[in-house]
Amino acid sequence: MKLTTLCAFLLSSALLPAGDVNIPFEKFQLANGLRVVLSQDNATPVVAVYVIYGVGARSEEKGRTGFAHLFEHMMFQGSANAPKGVHYREVESNGGFLNGSTHPDYTDYFEVLPSNKLAVALWLESDRMRSLAITKENLANQKEAVKQERRLSFDNQPYATAIVDVFPTLAYKNWSNSHSIIGSFEDLNAASAGDVATFFKTHYAPNNAVLSIVGDIQIPAAKKLIEGYFSDIPSQPQPTPPDLSEPPQTESRWQTYKDPLARVPIAAIAYPGPKRRSPDFYALAMLDMILTTGESSRLYLDLVKGKQSLLNIEASLGWPFGQPSDYKEPGIYGINLTFNPTFTAKQIVTQLEEEITRLHTTPVDPRELDRARATVRSIRIQGLQSTMTRASLLAQYELLDGKPELINTELNDYLAVTPAQIQAVAKKYLTPTQMSVLEVIPAPKEGKK
Amino acid sequence: MIARLLTAGLFLTAAFAQTLDRTKPPETPPLQPYKLPASVESKLPNGLGVVLVEDKRFPLVTLRIAFHAGSRFDPPGRSGAAETVAGLLKAGTPTRTARQIAEELAAIGGSLSAGDSPDSLIVSGSVLSENTPKLLDLAADIVRNADFPQSEIDLRKQNRVQELALERSQSSTLAGEKLRAVVFGAHPYAHTLPTPEAIKAIQREDLLKFRDTLLTPANATLILVGDIPPQQQTLDLIRARFASWPKKSVPPAPGGEFPKPQRSLTLIDRPGSAQVDILIGHITVSRRHPDYFPLLVGTNILGGGASSRMFNNIREKQGFAYDASAHNMPYKDTGLLNVNTQVREDVIEPALKAVFAELDRMIKEPVSTQELTDRKNYINGIFVMQLSSQSGVANQLASLRINDMPNAYLETYVTRVRSVEPDQIERVAAKYFSPSDAAIVIVGDASKIAGSVGKFGKVTIEKAK
Repeated sequence: MKLTTLCAFLLSSALLPAGDVNIPFEKFQLANGLRVVLSQDNATPVVAVYVIYGVGARSEEKGRTGFAHLFEHMMFQGSANAPKGVHYREVESNGGFLNGSTHPDYTDYFEVLPSNKLAVALWLESDRMRSLAITKENLANQKEAVKQERRLSFDNQPYATAIVDVFPTLAYKNWSNSHSIIGSFEDLNAASAGDVATFFKTHYAPNNAVLSIVGDIQIPAAKKLIEGYFSDIPSQPQPTPPDLSEPPQTESRWQTYKDPLARVPIAAIAYPGPKRRSPDFYALAMLDMILTTGESSRLYLDLVKGKQSLLNIEASLGWPFGQPSDYKEPGIYGINLTFNPTFTAKQIVTQLEEEITRLHTTPVDPRELDRARATVRSIRIQGLQSTMTRASLLAQYELLDGKPELINTELNDYLAVTPAQIQAVAKKYLTPTQMSVLEVIPAPKEGKK
Repeated sequence: MIARLLTAGLFLTAAFAQTLDRTKPPETPPLQPYKLPASVESKLPNGLGVVLVEDKRFPLVTLRIAFHAGSRFDPPGRSGAAETVAGLLKAGTPTRTARQIAEELAAIGGSLSAGDSPDSLIVSGSVLSENTPKLLDLAADIVRNADFPQSEIDLRKQNRVQELALERSQSSTLAGEKLRAVVFGAHPYAHTLPTPEAIKAIQREDLLKFRDTLLTPANATLILVGDIPPQQQTLDLIRARFASWPKKSVPPAPGGEFPKPQRSLTLIDRPGSAQVDILIGHITVSRRHPDYFPLLVGTNILGGGASSRMFNNIREKQGFAYDASAHNMPYKDTGLLNVNTQVREDVIEPALKAVFAELDRMIKEPVSTQELTDRKNYINGIFVMQLSSQSGVANQLASLRINDMPNAYLETYVTRVRSVEPDQIERVAAKYFSPSDAAIVIVGDASKIAGSVGKFGKVTIEKAK
């Protein structure tokens, strides 16, 4: 059985033109609303289990910033049958690794294990979905861990405060979109065990989650385990989705931020982006490839090499908290430019606008677009090598679009973009009045002698 | 479709519920043994080593060309030569400009980059498999003919000075740099990042000399992993591009004596620091040394992953830190134990005490059988998973060649981890984990923490660079 499946898979990829991959999958739903996506790949004895919940920082309410992330920490603090420490120990002692992360629109958890240990991951994930242990002691301890994470990853890092706390307030005007994803110490301190329990019941229900499993499994056996562990977790009323609507931007915005830890200036730039997976979305993503990605991109050739003004370019739909695969409107096209201090931020922005004007006035060269297509295709297939990436993509597509098949078909939407579409989105989205710029100025603190 | 599946599912649940006991972890079979993918090895007459591994799961090919040529080979007074060569390898050849190289790579959905470590300079690439010959064209051109145009050197030097400032704005960079300087003394491993002055001093002649001496076929191994053409055809593709590369003698690796370990305590003053970095280190051994596997398992018990002693105590129990970990970083001729955590200023004293206590406990108490088995499974599981991607296999093979180790190292890895005994761990802990001869580096705001740090011995305070 195993051998047949393996051969069938190898054959199917060999028959397709090189560069295309077909990821087989099966989708179903339990009576309690839990959506499940399974993908069998018996080539290596590894399995990735990925659970995604439709709750993120944008689900938070005022006075509760950082809750989604604090809660993500609480998910590792034990449940009815797997007390504190057991989750880590069971996964690691069975030869696997695990983690979780908080995003604007979702929170995810995963285990990657040797494939004959699949039941361990399902036991752990179902136990915490059913019966998380929310105690005062765990909460107090994780508040400290989160605060320490904030000091480590944000307060003690150059640019982090500017990008995580300040940049969203410039790019967005609706509080739900603009507040800090990691939250304030004040709100974290105020969180009670009761608040956390309410948050759990509201958002961590099976009907607000997707489970995906990718790797060396047999579908019938995996289904049987999933049913056994998850089917009797009760569903909950769906929470009302927050109002995320943004007022249209009618004038450019500019803010400066003095960063005591930075040594080199940056300009972080935002333009309001299109609707997820609309034709404009794919056109803007291809525009981004041509403008900013790699050493044959326009910004690299003209500004890093030609004018020698830029040191580094980072950009994408969804930057800094996401990428095209998990972008959701209202979102931004974010561009982060690290620049040579002999230039001013004004000069850098002018140089960027010159490049954007070129995109407004002249369609991109078909050869340039072909290179972008080859790069998109290659990046996509590279990513699909990893069982973990396949599991997360299948679950994200199911949660955000209800279409896990996008894992196989979405590449075509990128490849179909034309030079005329790129020119049109440049004119529609990348205009001076829709631009927001956060200029980060290094301002080192001097030590006392 | 969904309805049908659901019915089947619910029926199964009824049958299954009787046997499912949620109160304890499910019983699963033991970890399966892992078989390495078959590799084919060969050598061209000019000395270039070749390793081929076929993996047809994805239409991709992964390339490595690994040279014995890292920062330890930087000529005296020319720190930064290896990283500059690596950084400029795609900057131009007599037949292609940097722009042409970048555009040709993008057109085939390919990537090529070069990176340096203390012992190696490795060219890494990947491509859609239909374009493998073209990737080999470009790789051969850059490793054989890179000629470092002056304008590209000038730009790189100018930008690198800024990048170095950016890297040194990270407290972890400052701590790591200092630890290596203390532990490795006069040995070239002591140098991690070059100074801005060293970068400014580099001349085109230095780079050409480095290329001509070290980027030579007998000093290199070419590794291809993935959806490659049949063996003979692949070897022909390689010969056509690399066989005429002239053979040269291979120079010995610069080295020197390592200082005898002794207790030191350095505080790097970083005004305005929001927290304190603690980094404790000790010289250890290379992967070829008999102590290596006991040390690997012992370090993992101390601080590997989320169920290690340090993580459990310093983060989960005390809440001092977001992370606390330990690992042994192997070099070709030695190793470096890194024990680190980042804590808030007001707990620097209890946190340091807690780290020392965990180090002492490794020396004084035998590890339990359960803990030992759990950690061995973790190490082996991660090892096997790393070998499940093309780049994982390619990286391991490159590392073996750089460290002059046989493939048997990978094949016996799991067994050697499993055979480590508690008394071996105690013995290596006494040799490498003792706080009494450890190098301790603290990075933080001295105006706030110098007093607390001073309670642990004589402190040398230095300004952050």
